[in-house]
Amino acid sequence: MALLSAQDEQVLKQHLSAIEKPVTLMLFTQTIGGSESGPVARQVLDEIARLNEKISVVDKNFILDLDDRQKYGIDKSPAIIVLSGGEDTRMRFFGAPTGYEFVPLVEAVLLAGTGNVELQDDTLKLLATVDKPMHLQVFSTPT
Amino acid sequence: MAFANPLITASSIEATEFMDLTRRYRVTGVPKTIVNESVEILGALPEEMFVRAALQLPDLDTRDDQTAHVDPV
Repeated sequence: MALLSAQDEQVLKQHLSAIEKPVTLMLFTQTIGGSESGPVARQVLDEIARLNEKISVVDKNFILDLDDRQKYGIDKSPAIIVLSGGEDTRMRFFGAPTGYEFVPLVEAVLLAGTGNVELQDDTLKLLATVDKPMHLQVFSTPT
Repeated sequence: MAFANPLITASSIEATEFMDLTRRYRVTGVPKTIVNESVEILGALPEEMFVRAALQLPDLDTRDDQTAHVDPV
């Protein structure tokens, strides 16, 4: 059963048509002993990937793919890492991206695929002053 | 923000799936943003306010600190 209606699909396809660079959605799940949200996350990513041929999904095993886990600093699953042209964009989603997380994920894909940062100039100036690692964790809920 | 600066990583966390984190950061309402495991930003702020709060700068209009601080656990 598709998660998106035909109408939603059309709207999203149009929205994502601006993508120029390949976007990879790297999904870490735990096949044994993992939560039920792993397969749900996979389904959501597959639906997004269907909307544009430049979007692809790569599966990683949270337990076995330790090198990649370390590379991207992943400590919990399911985890989605957004790559642009194969490079880490440092945008991550933890948990099945349904509900309020879905739109930010789509926007992250769009950003990764276009490189169009839509922040104000003053914001960009402030961000340029950041000289130490900064980790932002944004909590949201599925409903 | 993460896309704009390579030092910044942004993680979206589904609160009901990671209850240990939800409890650690006392997430009772969403959205709630935690910066570097210690600074809290409640709600969805306008862009400039959010960024200034994340950088722990006073808000331009009120000069108030828009953040709360969490004792590291």
